[in-house]
Amino acid sequence: MAATTEDDEKQAQAETPAPAAPAPRRRARGPLATAVSVFGELLITAGIVLGLFVVYSLWWTNVVADREAHKQSEKVRDRWAGGPGSVDTRGGIGFLHVPAMGNGEILVKPGTDSKLLNDGVAGYYKKPVKSALPQDKKGNFALAAHRDGHGAKFHKIDKIKKGDAIVYESRDKWYVYKVYATLPSTSKYNVKVLDPIPKESGARKPGRYITLTTCTPVFTSTYRYVVWGKLERIEKVDHDRTPPAELQ
Amino acid sequence: MYGWIWRHLPGNAWVRALISLVLVFAVVYVLFQYVFPWAEPLLPFNDVTVDGQ
Repeated sequence: MAATTEDDEKQAQAETPAPAAPAPRRRARGPLATAVSVFGELLITAGIVLGLFVVYSLWWTNVVADREAHKQSEKVRDRWAGGPGSVDTRGGIGFLHVPAMGNGEILVKPGTDSKLLNDGVAGYYKKPVKSALPQDKKGNFALAAHRDGHGAKFHKIDKIKKGDAIVYESRDKWYVYKVYATLPSTSKYNVKVLDPIPKESGARKPGRYITLTTCTPVFTSTYRYVVWGKLERIEKVDHDRTPPAELQ
Repeated sequence: MYGWIWRHLPGNAWVRALISLVLVFAVVYVLFQYVFPWAEPLLPFNDVTVDGQ
């Protein structure tokens, strides 16, 4: 820098004093200085983009997903408005209520593709294991939903304790499950947790189980968090859709 | 880099500031609408299912 300034000054002395001397001097930056400054600006830009990505995943996806989930839930409710009826699965089979998670109802749809789950709903497994449905005589009703972002419907899954209720609402029935086991961390390859008789939960006999899966720890998905429940009773939906005692 | 963009924007300082703001919003829009949704599945933050693969 000092050399450049001296050169400039010498030039200025040699020629007639130029009035616009400061302007060209500012632009005359060495190539190294330019490279360093561009590199620095790129680093700042990268930092801002990463920050924006955090905003996107933890806030914006929730906004979009909640809006979409609300719209889809509304549609199902509209179709159900005629009162209890036969099992209706179009656009969502029913709603999941988990008082321990305290976030209202979660629409349940078939499949666990990220495209489907990104709408802020819970999905029941079709692969790798075909999940049973609540109305099946026995089997495991296995669900997945997002822990963070995209509605984060299972965000508070760690608040579910043994003995808590999980209520599934179909068009004509309330299925009340009771949580009997949780697995705070397991491998993502552990498909056995979805078995019709989930042995890892301590279950030995065929029955009507429910399994909730999501990722853990929060904000990453290194492991999976699993909650198991067993069907306790079924209530018929009345005309006012009075919720069972667990939800009041 | 940003200095170069600033110098090449037309108009006085206010017009340039306004255009810069519009450009910033355009970039954020493209990121939120296209880049992040594309990048998200490639990152290991949000896989919630168990599977055999």
